[in-house]
Order: sequence, then C-alpha cells, then structure tokens
Amino acid sequence: MAPKFSQVWGKWALLVLPLALGIYILWPTYRAWQLEAERDRLLRLGDSVALAEFEQHYGEALRSAKQNALKLGLDLRGGMYVTLEVDVVKLLEEAAEREAVDEVFRQVIEETRRQAERSDEPVLDIFLRVFDRIARPQGRSLISYYDVGDLREVSEERILERLRRNIESAIDQAQEVIRQRVDRYGVAEANIQKQGTRRIMLELPGVTNEAEMRQLLQTTARLEFKLVRNNEEAVRAFYAIDQYLKRQRGDTLAATPSDTTVAADTVAQASDTADPYAGLPEEERQRRIRQDFPFTSLFITYYVQNERFVPIDYRRSDFPEGEYFFQIPKATLPEFEAILSRPDVQRLLPAEYEVALSAKPDERLQRQGMEVYAFYVLKREPELTGDVVTDARATFDPTTNAPIVLMDMNAEGAERWARITGANIKKKIAIVLDGRVYSAPVVQSKITGGRSQITGMSSIQEAHLLEIVLKAGALKAPVKLVEERVVGPSLGEDSIRRGLLAGLIGFGLVVLFMVGYYTGAGAVTIFALLVNVVLILALLSAFKGTLTLPGIAGIVLTMGMAVDANILIFERIREELRRGRSIRAAVDEGHKRALSAILDSNITTFITGLILYFLGTGPIQGFAITLMIGILNTLFTVLIVARAFIELMLAYGMTLSYGLPRQRLVPVA
Amino acid sequence: MEFFRQTNIDFLGKRRTIIWISVAITAVGMLLVALYGLEYGIDFVGGTEVAVQIRPEPDIAQIRSVMDKAGFSGAEIKSYGRAEQFLIRVREREEGGTAATAVLETLRKGFPERSVELLKSDRVGPKIGAEMRRNAFLAVILAVVAILLYIAFRFEFLYGVGATIALVHDVLIAISAIAIVHHFGILRIEINQSVLAALLTVVGFSINDTVIIFDRIRENRERYKGMNLIKLMNLSINETLSRTINTVLTTVLVLLALLLVGGEVLQGFAFTMLVGIITGTYSSIYLASAFVVEFVQRFQRVDLDAEYRKLREAERAAAQA
Repeated sequence: MAPKFSQVWGKWALLVLPLALGIYILWPTYRAWQLEAERDRLLRLGDSVALAEFEQHYGEALRSAKQNALKLGLDLRGGMYVTLEVDVVKLLEEAAEREAVDEVFRQVIEETRRQAERSDEPVLDIFLRVFDRIARPQGRSLISYYDVGDLREVSEERILERLRRNIESAIDQAQEVIRQRVDRYGVAEANIQKQGTRRIMLELPGVTNEAEMRQLLQTTARLEFKLVRNNEEAVRAFYAIDQYLKRQRGDTLAATPSDTTVAADTVAQASDTADPYAGLPEEERQRRIRQDFPFTSLFITYYVQNERFVPIDYRRSDFPEGEYFFQIPKATLPEFEAILSRPDVQRLLPAEYEVALSAKPDERLQRQGMEVYAFYVLKREPELTGDVVTDARATFDPTTNAPIVLMDMNAEGAERWARITGANIKKKIAIVLDGRVYSAPVVQSKITGGRSQITGMSSIQEAHLLEIVLKAGALKAPVKLVEERVVGPSLGEDSIRRGLLAGLIGFGLVVLFMVGYYTGAGAVTIFALLVNVVLILALLSAFKGTLTLPGIAGIVLTMGMAVDANILIFERIREELRRGRSIRAAVDEGHKRALSAILDSNITTFITGLILYFLGTGPIQGFAITLMIGILNTLFTVLIVARAFIELMLAYGMTLSYGLPRQRLVPVA
Repeated sequence: MEFFRQTNIDFLGKRRTIIWISVAITAVGMLLVALYGLEYGIDFVGGTEVAVQIRPEPDIAQIRSVMDKAGFSGAEIKSYGRAEQFLIRVREREEGGTAATAVLETLRKGFPERSVELLKSDRVGPKIGAEMRRNAFLAVILAVVAILLYIAFRFEFLYGVGATIALVHDVLIAISAIAIVHHFGILRIEINQSVLAALLTVVGFSINDTVIIFDRIRENRERYKGMNLIKLMNLSINETLSRTINTVLTTVLVLLALLLVGGEVLQGFAFTMLVGIITGTYSSIYLASAFVVEFVQRFQRVDLDAEYRKLREAERAAAQA
C-alpha cells in the first residue's frame, strides 16, 4: 500500500536534502583532492608539458576548489606551529641608553630575567621592584638609564609611560614584520594570530625546516628613508622594457602576429587620441593590449597634474616631465615581479633606481572589493636608516583633528634630516620597512630639530601602523619562541590513513551491532550516521574550520555516541511494544518519552566540549569543535532524519520489529 | 536480540559494601598514582621532543651513544609506534636553542649511511607548560562543577551531588589506570593535551548513563507515587539496564577501533576514554543512585532500608502463597 506522494514528500525531503546539501558543500573538497592527486602524479612523472597544460586547464579550478575545500590542520598536512612571545626583559635591556648601561643595570636585568621566568606577574612590575631593591640604594634612578626619546622634560613617569607603550606596541610591530615576510616568501595559507596581548601564534603549512622558519622570524627589519623617483625617467625605462620584451618575443616566435602590431603602432602614432583597438570585441582588445604592451599593461600609470591623476598609456614615448603614480592589481603582481627580477630587464632600469611595492593595498579600492597596490620607483641608496628614529607616536592633530604621526630623531639624525628635507621640498620621501613602502609623504618644508609630523593618514589605524613601523627603527621588538611544533609530511599522511581506517572500522562495528540488535530499525541508524558524518565535515568546511587528528577522533567518537540517541528511542519503543501498543503508537510514544534523556545527555557533553574549546589549544580545539558540531548533528539526524525514515517505512507498510521476537498466537492445550 | 529481559536485580541492596569497595579501589588507585607517578607530556612540563624514523633501524643503545657523543647526555630515547621510529626527548641546552634541528643533525651525522626522517618535533617553553597545566586542572574542575549545576538544575541538588561523586570516581579511576599501564609498560601514556581532552569527554559522557537512569527515576516517581525510594531506583535501573549497556557498548566499539588502529597520537586519548566510560557505566548503575539514597537517609532521617526489607518480605510471602 503505497501512500500518495503528496502525503510523504516532506519526509522524503528530510532524507534527501540534508545529504544533498552536505555533498554540495563538500564537492570542492573532493574536487581539490582529485585535482591535486592528478597534479602530483604529473609532478612525479616530471612531465613539464603535461603539467603546463594541466595548469592552464585546471589551475583556476584547483585554486577555487582549494579556497572552498575543508582545511586540514597542521598535524595532518605537515608544517610548523610556532608561538612567539615578546621578550620584555630584552626589550627593557635594549631600550636603555647604551652608554649608560653599567654593572648595576646588568645585575637588575639578570635578576628580572630570573624572576620573570617563573612568574606570571607583568615583567615591568618585576623589573621596577628589582630596580628599587638593587639600583636605587646605589643612587640610580630610571633617568640614569632611559631617555624619553623627545625633547620633553625627562621624568620617571614619562620614562615609565614610554616603556609601557613600547611593550604594548612591540607585539604589533613583530606581527607586522612577520606578516610581510610570510607574504613575501609565499608561505601558502599561513595563519598569523595575536593571542592575548603578548603572544603571536603562527601556522606555517608545509614548512618543516627550522632554518626556513627562522628566516621568517628574525625580526631585525630594516627601516629606511628613500627618495621617491616616480618621474619621466622611470616611465621611459618602463617603455623600454615593453619594447625589449616585444623584440625578444619577436626573436623567438619569428614574426607571427607582429604585422597587426606594427599597424596598430603606426595608427597610434598618427593620431594620439584615437583608440587603435576601437571596434574590437572586449576580449580581443584585452589580448591585443597585453600583446603590444607586455610589461606596462600589467599596471596603471598616472601622470600627476595639479594634484589630479591622469591615466596615460605607453603608445608614444614622449613622456612629460613631472610626477607619476603607479598602481597594480594583485592579479598581475606575480608576473610583474617575475619580469622585474630578470637580470636582462633590470639593466633597462637606471642602476640607482629600484621598484618597491606599498605594504598595504589601496584602502578605498579594497572597500570596493579590489586589491590594488601602489608601487614606487625609489632611489636605491637610502637617505637615512631607521636607527636614528628615537620615538614615534600616532595621535590627532589638535587643530584639524586628523590622524597624524609624530616622529622624533636623535641629534645626529636630526641634522641629516634637516639637510635631506631642505633639499627635497615638495618631493616625496618613502618610509620603507623590509623593502615595502608604508608611506610616502611629501616634504612640506625643511625640518630642523628632529621632530617631524606626518599627515594624510585616512584613519587612526593607518597612523597606528605607521607608528609601529617607525618604531622598528628605534626598537627591535625582541621576541622569543615559547612553543614550536613541527609535523613532518609522512606522519601527517600516516595519521590521516590511520584516522580513516579507525573511522571505517568503528562505523562497521557500530552498524553490525545496531542491525544485529535492532534489525530493520537499526538499519535506519546507518543512514542517520552517514548523514551525520557528511554534515559534520560539511559544517566544518562551511565555517572554515580545520580538521585535525583529534578532530577525526571526535568524529569517530561521535559515531559511537550518535547511535546512543537511537538506542534510547529504540529501547523505549521496545518497552511500549511489550506493553502491547501498536507499532504506530509505540513509535510516537518512544520518540516523545526518550527526548528528555537524549537532550540532557547531549547537553552535558556539549558543556564539556565548550570548556575544552575555551581552555584547550590548537588541535584540541579541533576536537572540541567536531565534538560540538557532532552533538548538534546527532540531535538533528536522530530526532528528525531518522524519524522521517522510520515514518516513511511505516507509511509504505513495512513492518518494524525493533528486534523483538514476533508475537505469536498459540492455541492453549 | 535482547541481552536483558525484565531483570530484577537488587542493585542498591548491597550499596554500602559497594560504596566501600569503590572507595577502596579509588584509594588504592590514587596510592599507585602517588607511587608510580604520572608522566607528564611536554605539553605540561615543557621541553623538547623529536620523533624520527631511521631506516634501517638502529637499536636504542646505538642512538644513545650517538646522542651522548654530541653532548645530549641524559636524553630519553624510546621506541615510537613502529620499530624504526623513535622518540627522543632532550633537555634544553640553551634558552631559545634550536634543539630539534640539532637532534636531527646529530642523528644524520651519527648514521650517515641511513635515512633519518623527521616525523614531528615539539618544543614547549616551561612557562607555557605551566600555563597549560593550570588550564587543564581548571578545565576538569570547571567541567565537573558545570555538570553538577546542570544536573542539580534539571533534577534535584542531591542527584547532582550523586552524579558528581560518580564522575569524580570515574576520572580518578581513569587516571589510576593510566599510571598502571604506563608503569608496567603496557602502553606508553603520558598526561598530555589529548589525555586531558579524553578526561573531559569522560566527564561529559559518563554522565549520560546517569542521566538515563535519573530520567527514568523521575518518570517512575510520577507513575508510582509514594513508592519506596530504593524500590523505585532499583526498578528504574533495571528498566533502563539494556540501554545503559548498549549505549556504552557502541562507544566502546569505536574507541576500540581508535585504540587499535588510530596510531600512537590517539592511543592515550582512546585508552583514557575507554577506561573512563566503562567505569562510568559501573558508577552510574551502582554509585550515583546509591549516594542519593544515602543522602536521603542521612538528611531526611528516613529508614528506607527497613521499609524496603519489609516490602521484599511481603512480596516473597505473596509469591509463596
């Protein structure tokens, strides 16, 4: 007796939709895995032609699949996990005036370090206490060792305030430098996070070599002031690079498409306003431009005229004198950098010039969803290095209320700074940290006395970043490694294999037991379990969680615990059946009566999951998350999906015994 | 299939004896923990640990001599999982030193003709270790208190206390079991983050059986108003016996799978949970309700036992008649 579809479609939907949704979310994970396996196969074969072809056909697909795929934790994919902490003792030591440091001060530092090692008290407090005990009786005060860094009156309070500020910003400074390095060395999917106020946590997938990691972490970043040379000379060099690349390609490709190119060039020369590509379909137009301007088409060049930015092109070589501005989208950056790093191309750029990228993408464009960087042509030789900077501080201009950064230099720096600024009025000087330009302010006037004010920041955050960068000159943020974990690639693979195997065996055992004990109704749990596991993975993937080895353990454990809810219901239904109820009534009653025990037992486990999440670290949090997702899924799959399944079986007239012996009517003798 | 069919076991009859036996077992367990000591993993004490795979495999004495020559005297060397895999734990040579790389270099130099591969390395500073230890302790306490409050809120305060005593019992037994198997070299289990996770999960999970029973007690109390508490509890435990056992059984099955094939890293986790939830079932059946009965007798000054004895006698008499 088949029921009308209109009566059961809702229950069918409950069976099919969650599973379908889970599979849909997990599709990119499967696709990424499949494509990666294929790429690895080609890599092993060493077939570069096939590899290039693969990259062309599937490169984009692989990247987008990976973006949406379930992320594996470092313990499964191999890599390095590092926790850094600001070494406050070292910071206090290095912040002291070098000439002033004496035996007494060294003693104070030593004692502070000894005490700080086994105490949770703020290091500055320990330092002050030790200082009071050791140094003060010998007639020293903080003023003996520290300077406030600017021309204000020196007092103990000021020194303390400055030290406190430096300790606070040290972690941001280290984080900024490390972030830039990680970006630069291209550690894919690296994760950098601040933990609390003094620690940075770093996850570096694929990095298993300590030397590699240390390269990223050595925080002696160089702060330099360099003159900006965004001028016609630079633009002419870019033009030359275009011509050179074209010529070179012409050499290698004989003379295939160059006919049209020449034609286009002549047209362009004939009338400089007409677009030679007019009338072409957009795609073709782009292709032609890429072909004709292999280098300069990668970025946008503006001519700065009365503070207005006029885009120019490279169809003609007579570039007006003056200032230029360059912007480059993230997409073409790799090619841009690849071309610029070629030695034959570098020869075309004036020897005393170099190209440096801005540290952050343009904020306004970023809000519109575009990642566009500025780049600068700089004079290679720095005018001044950052060690002359004694202090920097982000604040607001008292009159205009705009965010500004104040920068102080020592006497030697101030003298040279006056000379440099005096010679470059109305020109730009770039503030460069570790090779990236953080700001390129225009010199308004000759700056004497060592105190400069930098304006033009769009937000106090931007000002704060600049403060951190400028401080890198005065103060190396000393950090120490407090935790370091490396998982080699082979252990990760082994863990995945073993985890999967344990999962399969566990699944098999549970299924055997449930079907053996509860027969047909037990089979329902197989389906519910399947949906459960798929949904755990899907939710983890959708919320950008990471799957760790303890996470896999959490999933395996969930399988064991999820069927508990089924058991509670089934046992209750058995009881009701024994009491002589009909199967229909028993199913309803069983679900209703088992609910409170199911909820209570799952909530208690959920509570411990929460505690574990907040007090655990790294992989253990992964366990807590899968455990908690597993519990929510269990409630859903058992109370809703499995229920729908059973209702459907009943609706289609199947009999369910719940593993009880059939009742028989036997004649009484 | 049915394992238990309408049992009528007097679980609470010998509860004093059972409580004392349990207390004795727990005390002996704690004594053994004190005697044998627990080995803390580097998560909780700090230090450097390097797991390597050396092919073809040397024996541990060979590795030790290589390490000693390089100045890593006192390094602990153990086998790790497979025959060719080793775990080496060294003391910090210097603050911020590159111990893992140094160990690897030493081994590569010491065994130039073999392949030495890094499986994993962990270095934890002593301060972080202390912090994690404190957090771990805090987490277990917090979990127990949270469960106490939840059960007290859902049932009654006395029930919460009974459940909590059962939980603490489970955790202590699990810890003793770790100390014992570790001491006798059956399994190499250290107290580390994943064992902590297992202990917490035990707290959250072994309460489940208690909840099933308490839930039934609450339901039966409504149905059989005025029934003697011991009789009521015995009835409830018997009625729920098959689900109490079955729910644990399925979890035991998956934990066995994890323990046997899940690999070295998950071994401690699986073992701890296995012991914890099995004792959890025992304590749910025999201890949690037993404590509630004891509390009720003490604080409400009711002689439930005498009442229950009379009831049993009456039943027996009725059966004979």
